[in-house]
Amino acid sequence: MIFKIAWRNIWRSRTRSIVVILAVMIGIWAVIFMLSFSNGMIESYIDNAIENQISHIQLHNPDFKKDQESQYFIENASGLEDDLRSQVEVESATVRSLATGMLTTSKGQRGVQIRGVQPTSEASVTKLDQKLVEGEYFDPETDNRILVGKSLSEELNLKIRSKVVLAFQSLDGEIIYAAFRVIGMYETDNNAYDESNVFVTQQDLNRLLGKENIGHEAAILLHSLDEIDPVQSRLTESRPDLLVENYAEISPEIELFNTQMQMSSTIIIVIVMLALIFGIINTMLMAVLERYKELGMLMAVGMNKVRVFFMIVLETLMLGLIALPLGMGLGYGTVSYLSKYGLDLSTYSEGMQEFGMSEIVYPTVNSGLYIQLGLAVLITALLGSIYPAFKAIRLRPVEAMRKV
Amino acid sequence: MNIIEATGIEKVYNPNKIAVHALNGVDLTIEQGEFTAIVGPSGSGKTTLLNIIGGLDHPTAGSVKVEGTDISTLNDNQLIDFRKEHIGFVFQAYNLIPVLTAKENVEFVMLLQKRSQQERETRSMELLRAVGLEDQVNKRPSQLSGGQQQRVAVARALAPKPTFVMADEPTANLDSKSTANLLDIMARLNKEENITFLFSTHDQRVIDRARRVVTLVDGRIETDETKF
Repeated sequence: MIFKIAWRNIWRSRTRSIVVILAVMIGIWAVIFMLSFSNGMIESYIDNAIENQISHIQLHNPDFKKDQESQYFIENASGLEDDLRSQVEVESATVRSLATGMLTTSKGQRGVQIRGVQPTSEASVTKLDQKLVEGEYFDPETDNRILVGKSLSEELNLKIRSKVVLAFQSLDGEIIYAAFRVIGMYETDNNAYDESNVFVTQQDLNRLLGKENIGHEAAILLHSLDEIDPVQSRLTESRPDLLVENYAEISPEIELFNTQMQMSSTIIIVIVMLALIFGIINTMLMAVLERYKELGMLMAVGMNKVRVFFMIVLETLMLGLIALPLGMGLGYGTVSYLSKYGLDLSTYSEGMQEFGMSEIVYPTVNSGLYIQLGLAVLITALLGSIYPAFKAIRLRPVEAMRKV
Repeated sequence: MNIIEATGIEKVYNPNKIAVHALNGVDLTIEQGEFTAIVGPSGSGKTTLLNIIGGLDHPTAGSVKVEGTDISTLNDNQLIDFRKEHIGFVFQAYNLIPVLTAKENVEFVMLLQKRSQQERETRSMELLRAVGLEDQVNKRPSQLSGGQQQRVAVARALAPKPTFVMADEPTANLDSKSTANLLDIMARLNKEENITFLFSTHDQRVIDRARRVVTLVDGRIETDETKF
């Protein structure tokens, strides 16, 4: 009967109960939405970084990582690429040559990373061919062609067929100047990357560097993130001469970004839950204060303090338990919809692209969050009920019943 | 047989500030089956005495024994348990549980006593029949008149089979008809089932029906009359 009394009690002040249920429901929805949104941002950032630049695993000459100098190359690049492609977990792999140099046009010059790629395998790893917004991809029959970032082309007023000069150091230390013709412009979700990276064919770059069949960076795209650790371990063992790193090791800022987003999400959850606790305390305190006389009567006729305490806690839990599925349902619905259609943030796309994120975010949430949130709401309701419940059992029946 | 023995009851409010002596050495015994009214002007100590006898308040001095148990020495939790088993309460403002029906209100204390569902069911219906509310069992207090609510309160007070029923100004909020009706019911239960009733009242109609009238003035018993 205590359940019955508690249940009916919460509907005595229908408006007040509905308001607190709505508050808890919106709080739950907000937490789910914010967490799924930040998850979506993190995933977008990581996906973009993996897809555009890093891939899942990279291999380098250990000295290249220290100085970024072209002389620290990997021998037999084609053999390495074949070897990497033969691994079952590998979706695609490519080996690139890299050089740091200066791109000069009639309008000005800019320091760039020159990426000498094999057109086909690069396209399978970074989908470079699909990122072209103007012009065309590499034609294996023609030499000295270059792809530049859209934002770099705007900065240097480059057009299709414009001529640029790349200056960089060859393997024997000579400064090489080579003219390239712009055949295409690409655009990723990361403006900073687009402004500082240009693509030529590996064949052209290696020829200018002065050695055939070399590379500086092998990039591997796996079928799934779960395969990173075993593949990395195996490669480390089989190629002790190379430095094998996963995306988090290559770009520690990804992990930092991830951690920061998770920390801010946790802080937001704590703030929302604190606000809910005070909302619940306020509501239940009002419920107790306006029922002083009744609670006094209950104790007068023999309801002990444990039962009174339990009844107040139960009323609070019931409010939480009504709000919980509603909030979760609303959150689940919102996330399901947005994970399918995306949240268009094109208004802020410039700022987001500076940080390497897509302008459309697809919120995602793992099912564990619903369990954690359920527990958090129950704990919040319990904490919120303690003070009002203590207030109720401190009543002395004879005094409570005198109150009007 | 004495079921209540109050000896030397004193009650002082605010003993450390401006002390108010509500009761000054009251001795009172109540026997099984009495129908007793405690009367007196406002501030005479009627409600205070009733609260102490009913285990709702502690005396400053003196002792109260109910069926041999000295309840003035019990702590709050023990008093709650004692009240649940031994004392039925009827309050001036009915004080029913507003979210329960008449029948559920009557069952409530039996539930606290952990009586079986069947016993609760049977007894609550018997009692509601006894107070003439067998056709109102599923109504909530807000759907009942004041008189009907007070009759439900009487049924609730009797439900736990208490040693005695304590009624604090039970007719104060009732009209004449409801008062007469309520007094008829309580007098009948007293006569037929030998239930002990102890009232505090100002109401002459209650005083007229009481078989014993104890008059309190300034916290002392001034007169104690038994009618035959």
